[in-house]
Amino acid sequence: MPENQHEDPFENRFATALRDTGDGFRAGDPAALVTGGQVRGRRKQLLRRTAVLGGITGVALVGVGGTLLLPSDVHDPRRTSAAAGPASTADPSAASPSPAESFSRDDMLRSLKELMPQGTYSEEEAQGTGSTMPPYARLVFDDGEGAAALGLSVDRMDPGGEQAAQWTTCPDKKIVAYDDCTSATQPDGSRLMLLRGYEYPDRRVDTKWWNAELVTPDGVHVTLSEWNAPAQKDAPVSRPQPPLSAGQLKEVVTADVWKRVAAAMPQSPKPSATGEAPPEGRPSGAIAKTLMGLLPENLKVTGRSGPGGEYAYLVVDDGKGGSLVQINVQAGMSDLAGELFKDAEKLPDGTLVTTQESPGEKAGKDVVMWTADTLRPDGLRVVISAFNTPAQHEDATRDTPALTLAQLREIALSTEWDAGA
Amino acid sequence: MRQQRSADYAEFASARAGHLYRSACLLTAGDTHLAEDLVQETFGRLYVRWGRVSRAENPAAYAQTVLTRTFLAHRRLRSSRERATDTFPDLPGAGDGDAPLRLTLMAALARLPAKDRAVVVLRYWEDRSVEQTADVLNVSSAAVRTRCVRALGRLRELLGEDLHEFSRP
Repeated sequence: MPENQHEDPFENRFATALRDTGDGFRAGDPAALVTGGQVRGRRKQLLRRTAVLGGITGVALVGVGGTLLLPSDVHDPRRTSAAAGPASTADPSAASPSPAESFSRDDMLRSLKELMPQGTYSEEEAQGTGSTMPPYARLVFDDGEGAAALGLSVDRMDPGGEQAAQWTTCPDKKIVAYDDCTSATQPDGSRLMLLRGYEYPDRRVDTKWWNAELVTPDGVHVTLSEWNAPAQKDAPVSRPQPPLSAGQLKEVVTADVWKRVAAAMPQSPKPSATGEAPPEGRPSGAIAKTLMGLLPENLKVTGRSGPGGEYAYLVVDDGKGGSLVQINVQAGMSDLAGELFKDAEKLPDGTLVTTQESPGEKAGKDVVMWTADTLRPDGLRVVISAFNTPAQHEDATRDTPALTLAQLREIALSTEWDAGA
Repeated sequence: MRQQRSADYAEFASARAGHLYRSACLLTAGDTHLAEDLVQETFGRLYVRWGRVSRAENPAAYAQTVLTRTFLAHRRLRSSRERATDTFPDLPGAGDGDAPLRLTLMAALARLPAKDRAVVVLRYWEDRSVEQTADVLNVSSAAVRTRCVRALGRLRELLGEDLHEFSRP
């Protein structure tokens, strides 16, 4: 059956209605989407470099240059709960002298300007605290000596965490060339790094980039960057140095107003107190790792999936060739009991189990898929399938999968999965 | 070199912007501001990976995949609001012309969990197969089927079995 024809009349009607509705949306300014994307792309390239500068692999947060980009796991409550661990002595979200206060876009710009020396402003952009993305302000500042881009952002992080240490530690000069960098603990316990470096690490253009990073004991993270050009990239140098001295950078980032901004940011949702795992709540790669630990000893793992949330696969070999094993571990699936486990076996603890031998789901010739599907009383579903081929879309390479139905069942019922939930 | 890259990117993005925006509107259940944001974010990610994108067998499908994942990453940031709720406002009445159709459908989509909504959009708007949808979402085909069944069941409840006034003659 072609994919876009459905047996169910409702499905057909819905598909038609969805297409009609979707076709009705028109972008007001498609060109702005394209340009906006390009601008973000360029800034992402900067972020990558900044990630190296901060000594952080893969994640970085810079609130400059207009749009602030948030690595998805910085605010992820599950990530926070896993990463913060017992070392977290302060709840970053508790740094709140006045939680009812909020900061608009204009408030952000005004707060920044109040801390700046005399001068004129242009190209102002900002985001207040009403968004799920962190607040920031950026502008082009001119004290009469030449226009300079400048941007500040506020975020929260675990003050005792590795990330906080990385943001406020001077990078290795072997990795990043810079003129000067200091990192020190302030009288209030905050960590402050002041760095005078260059926009382009290879100095192909002599744009200077000066940066201050502050993390307070309450977990407020303030980032300030400035350049000696009206844009961080692709603009000619307009003055010998960026406008604010190291001392002035410090004055701006340590101002109390940013603590109030941080307090006004939306609270990160707390991990569920009921113990129910949120969807995709497991650390990256945890499922594949647990699965490997549950495999019979005669199997060798020859391939595995990348980090995924609730899904993983392995390719295993018992000496007769590769066999794909895929697994899904999903919380909160109780509502499926009626649909998928109608004729299931019920174990004494209430867990439902089914096993099934079926043809493969993809195009591979003679491919079979053996599946054990389980649903715990708490809604945790573990479903595992094994194939007689190392890749589903390829033809069968062996008679049967490398795991028997009984072995699949045993793996799916392992209490290891409950431990991860 | 860089200029050529920018030109190639711009040509591709211009051609795809309209469609991606419409997809984003469905994913966000009609939040057009968020949809614009998601499309720009998607283009930003494509720009960074342009070398890989331009060599992809189907760059348009690649872009759609990035959009869907960007949407889900965004939703994860707001996961506390992700769960479908029974306290959503009443659905507008159906069958009063195009605007109610859009509103009714969007309100129904808004009640689905984000990942279920992504499945529905990929399957019925993008016409992706179960397997393709599974690849985009990095889940198994079984999980896609499960979500699809669940989502359609919920939509049927919300929209009514008939959906008659929405279908073309």
